[in-house]
Amino acid sequence: MVKVESREVTRAEVEDFLYREAQLLDEWRLDEWLTLIEPGGRLEVPTTDWAGWDATTAGYFVADDYELIQARVKRLKSRKAHAENPHSRTHRMISNVLLLEAGAETVWISANFLIHRYRDNGAYTYVGRYEHVLKVDPDGLRFRLRRAVPVMESMDPGARLSFIL
Amino acid sequence: MAQQTPVRPLGATGAMIDEDWEALRFRVHRSAYRDPEVFRTEVDRIWNHTWLYLGHETEIPKAGDFKTRTLGGRPLIFCRDADGQVRAFFNACTHRGTVLCRHSEGNTKFFQCFYHAWAFSNSGELAALPGDDAYPDDPAFRASMALRQVPRLQIHEGFVFVAFDPDVPDLLTHLGPAAHYMSLTAKIGEHGMTTLPGVQLYSVKGNWKLAVENAMDGYHFAPTHNTFVGYLRETGFAVTDDDQYAYDLGGGHGLLVLTGHNGRIGMVWEPRFGDEEKTRTVTKRRELEARLGPELAAEVADASRILFVFPNLLLFDLEALTIRQLEPVAADRTDVRAWQFVEVGEPESVRALRIKTMVSFVGPGGLATPDDIEAYEAVQRGITATADSVDPAHDWSDMSRGMANEKQGNQGRSIDEGAMRSFWRRWAEVVGAGTSVAGDPPAGTPAAGPAAGGAGK
Repeated sequence: MVKVESREVTRAEVEDFLYREAQLLDEWRLDEWLTLIEPGGRLEVPTTDWAGWDATTAGYFVADDYELIQARVKRLKSRKAHAENPHSRTHRMISNVLLLEAGAETVWISANFLIHRYRDNGAYTYVGRYEHVLKVDPDGLRFRLRRAVPVMESMDPGARLSFIL
Repeated sequence: MAQQTPVRPLGATGAMIDEDWEALRFRVHRSAYRDPEVFRTEVDRIWNHTWLYLGHETEIPKAGDFKTRTLGGRPLIFCRDADGQVRAFFNACTHRGTVLCRHSEGNTKFFQCFYHAWAFSNSGELAALPGDDAYPDDPAFRASMALRQVPRLQIHEGFVFVAFDPDVPDLLTHLGPAAHYMSLTAKIGEHGMTTLPGVQLYSVKGNWKLAVENAMDGYHFAPTHNTFVGYLRETGFAVTDDDQYAYDLGGGHGLLVLTGHNGRIGMVWEPRFGDEEKTRTVTKRRELEARLGPELAAEVADASRILFVFPNLLLFDLEALTIRQLEPVAADRTDVRAWQFVEVGEPESVRALRIKTMVSFVGPGGLATPDDIEAYEAVQRGITATADSVDPAHDWSDMSRGMANEKQGNQGRSIDEGAMRSFWRRWAEVVGAGTSVAGDPPAGTPAAGPAAGGAGK
């Protein structure tokens, strides 16, 4: 449990938030997923050689501001997003949730993820950790920064990031 | 050079490239993407005997900096020695062949093998030989055990190329007109250009030549990238394919010059770059003109370019810049490495805009490249349909678009398939694949790039 100015945040609340988000993504309910991002929020996937650089100084796989997150969702809902038409089947496991640090209105958390993705008779495994900054609202949590850090040495053959990691 | 056996002829005509200027047909036999024997021949004829892009010298800025990297299937050390000289070594201990350096990057004076503790300086000399009393007491022995350098290494505008064949012609001879387009890109930054950390490493389930074709293919852009074009439209920018051309630079190198595809950070403004960047573009254009003169500044700045340097380098000089390197692993697998390439000393806000903008388009997590990867992979799966003796008449991929126009002597458009044809002709020549040519090809030499003063016809 940590305390921001307005209230307390428990690990159980953060876990519920992450599990619910994983469910929305696995079920491709992207409009609902988008409501979990605070306007002005960011979506980031650093590269596999990442050493803590931020997206203003180093190459990334994904460095979306809020406009690009909206564009990404719009694209993924289109039949013309060929890389995700048909959609990949994804199955997300989230564990090792830690509340790292509380700010005035945010909490910085980390968690491990294991995502299996299936498409075109191929199976792909994405392993990594989340390092999110969550805005604490009176009645819930939202992403201010949603960062998925891959732990693999590179993206395996066929393991593109056409979906939301 | 080793004795070369020809690639086994495939297809009904016995050729792998079928070019017919009467029927206006150009097609490639699909075994070229599929056959492990063709792949082995490519490694031998192309990768073992041609200049290959290794990396950029800004990846190893300080003495002792190194990266390890596999090129043409061979593990290499790319480093800067104690005197600041850029070097490339085979990453294998000269003693028993152990991978000498098992780190992907770092800085060191010595590379020490863990197995028997032999150590080599970063300029390759054998520096430590444990238990040397049991070896010949002879400097010639130590010299014979020096780390093996890749036979050739040359640098053009910071782009470091190596060749495993000592007898390849000079790098500039190999690059031909492509060298000029690399120089244009290198001139963008007032204080030079640099690669950034944060390298995109990914792999695709497709033949390396599909990645080359895709980059030289403006025809796919509108249908494949429908959602990306839609996104640009919403930001207030209308993409056009009009009045854009493709150039055969010889030697298998190709160039698309794209005037209507996007803005160029610091050079051609578009609304998604924001107001601050609009003002800076005016200043930056003035700086370019003062430094390079108006003509060269216009050539550097006005048009986007996609340059392919045969066989493994793609330089995307678009909204921002990406260097992409192709590493064939098998007939149906290609490893890709991609670096952001930026102006030295640019403001942090511009750097951030550049990274955001470029990775939103190019790369496996962008809004466009995943659809290209989908295309390579769907082709690789699809071409098994007509394989072997099931449907030999249709086991061909068509690249005829624009031949009628080309026959009339007109410059090929970016949305034609001429740049792909010139790549395949060079490929067939190098690997020794059979080519069937019928009818009369267009007379005259194609333009090796746009005429001065504009991307004209």
